[in-house]
Amino acid sequence: MSLTVVKGLQSEIFVPVTPPSVFTKPTKPMNEWIVGLATAAGVHRKDQERFNLAGDFTWRKIPKDTPTDMLMVSHGGYDNSDVNKDVNCMFPIDRIHELAAEGVIGGEAENHAGFMGGGGNIEKFTNETGPAIAEMFKEEGVDAVLVTAG
Amino acid sequence: MQRAIEKAGVPTICITALPPVSRQNGTPRAAAPLVPMGANAGAPHDIAMQRGITIDSLKLIETIETPGKIVPLPYEYHAQI
Repeated sequence: MSLTVVKGLQSEIFVPVTPPSVFTKPTKPMNEWIVGLATAAGVHRKDQERFNLAGDFTWRKIPKDTPTDMLMVSHGGYDNSDVNKDVNCMFPIDRIHELAAEGVIGGEAENHAGFMGGGGNIEKFTNETGPAIAEMFKEEGVDAVLVTAG
Repeated sequence: MQRAIEKAGVPTICITALPPVSRQNGTPRAAAPLVPMGANAGAPHDIAMQRGITIDSLKLIETIETPGKIVPLPYEYHAQI
């Protein structure tokens, strides 16, 4: 028996479609992790090119020794006032330095990643920017990544 | 982004101010402190809060067993706008 009684009938209720899950478990305890940061908040070095606020799928590599006063934000999709006062609000690089020095985590990635989230060319993000950032972390031997987004 | 990194074999945690959006986008794991978008890791210059959110979020990489789980974190900050 066919379950379809009326061809082409659709639910009136909006049903969100979420992508299939991806999930990787850590292989070491936290105090041995090399931790990387990836932020969608539009953080980059002041000497790097600003993001195009109308939509930008490019990303910026941020060396771990970059002082916070060399960092800035270009992102038109949220209120930047807190992050302009203290970039650690979205990119807690000073906290990661401290945790690495104290041995709470094993160490810090050589480079972190900044990009401008909140839309744009999702296909490019999914197929190019995301894999490129993932590859950088993988090559640097990163064990865990702290993401700030949304 | 988080999914791409996770797909490459590196575990991640997302600190989110908008848990429903993260859920819809298929986050592998997320931490949700009560913060406005733009201060996900805590209030400006509040080192104790930023440190707490950073450590507790990283710990969730070890403790979350189920893909897609979003755990609220007990930190609260309201931006004065």
